[in-house]
Amino acid sequence: MSDLGLRITDLHVAVEGNPILNGIDLVVEPGRVHALMGPNGSGKSTLAFALAGHPRYTVTRGSATLDGEDLLALTPDKRARAGLFLSFQYPAAIPGVKVANFLHAARQAVHPGDLPPAAFRKMLMEKMEILEMDPAFLGRYVNDGFSGGEKKRLEMLQLAVLAPRYAILDETDSGLDIDALRAVGAAIAALRASNEGKNTGFLVITHYPRILQYVVPDAVHVMIDGRLATSGGAELAHRIEREGYDTIREELAARA
Amino acid sequence: MLEVASSGLSPERSTELAARFADTLFSAERRAAWLERFFTTPSGRAKPDRYWKIDLDALDLRAVEPVPDAGTSSVSGPRHDGVIACSFEDAVRMHGDLLRRAIERDAAFDRFGALARAFARTGIFIHAAAGVELDEPFVVAHTATGRGAFFPATVIVLEAGARISVIERLAASQDGAFVCALGSSLLGEGASLESVALQELPADARCFVSRAAFPGRSARLHVSEAHLGAGLAVATTAVALEEPGAHAEVDLLLFPHRSQHVDAVTRIDHRCGETTSRTQVRSAAAGEARARYVGTIAIVPGAQRSDAGLRDDALVLSPRAHIESVPALEIGANDVRAYHGAAIGALDEEMLFYATSRGIPRDDAERMIALGFFEPLIERIAFDEIRDELRRAVAERVG
Repeated sequence: MSDLGLRITDLHVAVEGNPILNGIDLVVEPGRVHALMGPNGSGKSTLAFALAGHPRYTVTRGSATLDGEDLLALTPDKRARAGLFLSFQYPAAIPGVKVANFLHAARQAVHPGDLPPAAFRKMLMEKMEILEMDPAFLGRYVNDGFSGGEKKRLEMLQLAVLAPRYAILDETDSGLDIDALRAVGAAIAALRASNEGKNTGFLVITHYPRILQYVVPDAVHVMIDGRLATSGGAELAHRIEREGYDTIREELAARA
Repeated sequence: MLEVASSGLSPERSTELAARFADTLFSAERRAAWLERFFTTPSGRAKPDRYWKIDLDALDLRAVEPVPDAGTSSVSGPRHDGVIACSFEDAVRMHGDLLRRAIERDAAFDRFGALARAFARTGIFIHAAAGVELDEPFVVAHTATGRGAFFPATVIVLEAGARISVIERLAASQDGAFVCALGSSLLGEGASLESVALQELPADARCFVSRAAFPGRSARLHVSEAHLGAGLAVATTAVALEEPGAHAEVDLLLFPHRSQHVDAVTRIDHRCGETTSRTQVRSAAAGEARARYVGTIAIVPGAQRSDAGLRDDALVLSPRAHIESVPALEIGANDVRAYHGAAIGALDEEMLFYATSRGIPRDDAERMIALGFFEPLIERIAFDEIRDELRRAVAERVG
């Protein structure tokens, strides 16, 4: 079906009246991995927040659909229930709310009544093992007093628990040591190998190509100044690793 | 002919009312003296303003008629040879002096504490002998039942090394109750008291609670106090740390809704060095409710190596609700550790976005975050059933 996918068309987004994204066209197909790279401030996180429905980000033009459903007409919770997941770069702490309860509430909201409590618990344990997380995590308050690495692991645990149709990973690799990065890679690989997650489409936002060793992209896009400057295959990520963004900037200027 | 008011709480009736309550515990003169203090000493509480509508120095007391049998007090709990848990009536016969001493001892002057003492006659006395340690809690219930004003008291005396826990409930089975309660706890060397006080009066009640506690050398006190009831709730919790090693933890949970007003004061006096205290306050207000809190930590000159902390967080759940918070440190010694912190705000939008981005509907996310706000204090309560009861009560209020 032609309307399958996370389809972003001519998307313009402003934050407090300042235009940040100036017409993004991108399609993430089910089961495929798209990497979105670009220098700081190019608008990558803005795209992520706008798609997830953060109230500070205003879509001024364009559209975004998830398997044919108009994403922009939905509140953030409904976007998640439609199958969208955002792994936050800086997830909020929710003091007083235990990880276990939060995960259960989220799973229930996204997949109502599909798992009895014991089965849910078992699933949690399996996913936490892949992520090398101590079960004591479940009794802690959501992100409260977590280290950077712990926060990212919890984001990946939520990804695994919610098994979304489309996942946006916003700089999940930043601030991670190599062990944590490997665990994150393993969690994504496990999800993609599972029945629930084999059709999950990924938009992996990153600065550095190193996470792409663990999640090999089918396509790589480079965002500069709120536009997609160029797209290509996995080799584009290696080129950026060698040359940085300057040569792409220069090409962009030459074209203009 | 001059008409004399024949009912109500007024200075003109002091003698008459003091005589009405006079008993073997306190004479009419002693009671009249406290009443005079009540009538002549200002509350020290802030005056009404744009948000706070009730003047605590000019309360309408015309309908307040103190009568000795306006309510009942009961206690249940573990039986042990070294423990006495009984009514004042019984206690006054065997331990009159101790009971009197405990009631008279005041950690910080409080106008409503004077009123509660003037009419203290119905109450519960718990005494644990040296070294008695009990896990099962005592449950004290004070219930306003009659048409008059009710003045219940809980007096706890722990001898050296005793360790007990007490759950106290303040309730009413009548409309328009006026309750003025007193709590007094004396802890001997190394004693330990875990106490929970739940004020759950009907929404049309007026409630005044004064608590004083004196943990002795190396004694440990933990008080968790929750005010969910009453149209007007005025609470003062004062702790005096007078011997080295004394340690106090005071947790206060306030959650008025609709048009409830709650005014709470905590005061921790470090009167001796090497004493420690932690005060934690969580207040939320919904509807058109008002909450105000003044928390003082006072460290007297010479109380070196005192260690005190005060943390106050407030959550405003409705645009018409209002919370005011004033933490204060009075520090007279130089070698101490003392901190205070306060935060007031509405539900955090970033938290809400995070939770809703996980598929949780906004209403549920709001409820979850508001419940979570109280959780760090609720979790500190030692009794499962009380924790669950408070969670349910808070959840109901969050809606």
